[in-house]
Amino acid sequence: MTRRLAPYAVATGGAIAITAAIGAVTALASVSGLSALYLLFVLWLAARWGRGPAITGSVAAFLLYDFFFVPPAGTFAVRGPAELLELVVLLAVALVTSQLAGSLRRAQAAAEAIAGDSRALYELATSMLRTHDVNEGLRMVCENALRLPGVNRFAAVAMVAGHATPVAGTILSADELRQAEWSYQNGRSVGITIKDGLVVTMKTHGPTANTACLPLGSGVAVLSFDAQRAEPNELRTLAALIGLADLLLDRRRGTLEAERARGFEASDRLKAAILSSLSHELKSPIASLRAGLTALTAPRAGLEPEQRELLNDMDRQATRLDRMVGDMLALSRLEAGVELDREAHSFADLAGTALYQLRPEIKDHDVVLHIPEDLPAVEVDELQAGRVVSNLLENAIEWSTPHGVIEIGALARDGEVEAWVENDGPGIAPADLDRVFDTFWTRRSKGTGLGLAICKRVVEAHGGVIRVENRRRGPRFTFTLPLASVPVRK
Amino acid sequence: MSGRVLVVDDEVEMQRALRTGLGYHDFDVRAVGSGEEAVREATGWRPDVILLDLGLPHMDGFATLRALRPMTRAAVIVVSVMPDEKDKVRALDAGADDYVVKPFGTEELVARIRAVLRRQAAVPAGEPVIRCGDLEIDLARRLVSVKGQAIRLTPTEYELLRYLGLHAGKPVSHTTLLRQVWGEYAVGDKYNTRYVVAQIRKKLGDDPANPRFIVNEPGVGYRLQA
Repeated sequence: MTRRLAPYAVATGGAIAITAAIGAVTALASVSGLSALYLLFVLWLAARWGRGPAITGSVAAFLLYDFFFVPPAGTFAVRGPAELLELVVLLAVALVTSQLAGSLRRAQAAAEAIAGDSRALYELATSMLRTHDVNEGLRMVCENALRLPGVNRFAAVAMVAGHATPVAGTILSADELRQAEWSYQNGRSVGITIKDGLVVTMKTHGPTANTACLPLGSGVAVLSFDAQRAEPNELRTLAALIGLADLLLDRRRGTLEAERARGFEASDRLKAAILSSLSHELKSPIASLRAGLTALTAPRAGLEPEQRELLNDMDRQATRLDRMVGDMLALSRLEAGVELDREAHSFADLAGTALYQLRPEIKDHDVVLHIPEDLPAVEVDELQAGRVVSNLLENAIEWSTPHGVIEIGALARDGEVEAWVENDGPGIAPADLDRVFDTFWTRRSKGTGLGLAICKRVVEAHGGVIRVENRRRGPRFTFTLPLASVPVRK
Repeated sequence: MSGRVLVVDDEVEMQRALRTGLGYHDFDVRAVGSGEEAVREATGWRPDVILLDLGLPHMDGFATLRALRPMTRAAVIVVSVMPDEKDKVRALDAGADDYVVKPFGTEELVARIRAVLRRQAAVPAGEPVIRCGDLEIDLARRLVSVKGQAIRLTPTEYELLRYLGLHAGKPVSHTTLLRQVWGEYAVGDKYNTRYVVAQIRKKLGDDPANPRFIVNEPGVGYRLQA
């Protein structure tokens, strides 16, 4: 109370002191215009304390001046318009100056408040972004939001697999969660929006009008607040906190996705490891089976031709079984993310190796090569890329006409090598062109359905593409391989 | 051509199948189930070829190979289910003459056994000329020719071809070639051998896409066709 009255006391006291000073000066010498001192004092009062003390000061000054210095001295008599004008001028100065000073003071106070808020927000943001636990950061955001006047409820909701999942803040009802979900899925805010960095209330006719939802990148901010009780800077802080929640929810999703990917990778590796030992276990009996079956096909075994034929059939089936086991293991290793041992290789070498390995199967076919001598080297894993060529060749052998033509070609194009294997067999049905690279898709009963799927995986692991088309002569498989970064020494 | 073949495999079914199958091809076959027995038979029975499975219990295939190598001149063919390329190189570098991947057919195995036996017979020490089809390598005069046409090779190219020729028919690993051609302390990678082989092929008129002389052993090295 005394602190509020102090300015008025100063105003009155000051006016008296100035009057005394003017009295003292005029007693010594006649100095005109000393009444301007009052004006100066009123200006100061207005700037320092505002309207009330300034008016008090100006009225006190007028009365004192009138009483002591305006003849007849010793009376409050006001004579003539000039003296009234003096009072009016003093009062006007007091009012106008106090108004100006007041708005300046308010602007400064507001600026200080914003600076304070920004500092607080900055500190909050850095501490939240520094926490390794995203959920802890979100809890801090909610706590700070709930501390703002007018904010009754505030919750950060994450979208997990399409469902609204509360993470931090006020406990929400099932209805509110449904509303949050709706808001996220439709990308529409309910009740509030953020405009120019401020939270703004909107008129909507939602099912629960007092709970507002704001969809964010990876979740929803759910809050209810009384806009009348909030100051603009608080609305700004609230908007900033929602922004932080947005950031943290994004980070939360990123973390979860990374964890999930790691989990998948681990399970892929486990699958490949299990399949590797299983393949070993499967191949050992197949090995004994094939050794036994093929032992008996020797002429010295003394079997009849049709018995030998039967054994040959069985051996082919055992071989097919072996291929399936091998292909399945190769595919699962590729899916687990096999490490490629990339080096510069000439495509002619890869083709030659595959042809050499397949020479018993391919000996009745006419192999035509279109590999330019100056073809630049490719940067590939020798074994994996070799597998692509030999799988495509086996496919071509399978489908070409007896003694038919198989063409292998390559050319450099657009910074990569485009290679193809073509046979003169029947074309692939248009509807199947997209499916030939699918796992287990096969158009013959003999195949494993994995050879072309393996080709696709290997080519893609090298950053290339593989496709099939029906050419005039027959189907052509085309794939791309990356060029070696080091040019082959000539 | 016949010979003594020692089968080292812990699976009884495989032993029996190979005894029967190789027997039909006139080989004299004995089968044992462990590395320790293999070492005993290698000195006692003196086989010409040892078929060594890498997946033996107790004393594994590599340990058996290391134990066998100093005590026998028999050719060792390593047999394995799903061998890694590293395993193949390791077996070759430890003194194996060839490798065969399980499962295999008897015909294929017989062909491999005959090839190593031929190699053993064909390389009497000091033989001055190596012949592989049209290719001739005259070791005494350091001359290489194809169909009688002299081929000019650089010293490195000649050394590499000579080494492959001395082991014609046998896969030779990149590391062995590097050591033999560039020296014991050669630092380098497969790129060196690939480059030199590409040069030799070009000079011999050997098409890499359809090799007549030097064949790639993917992930392992090269082999000169015998």
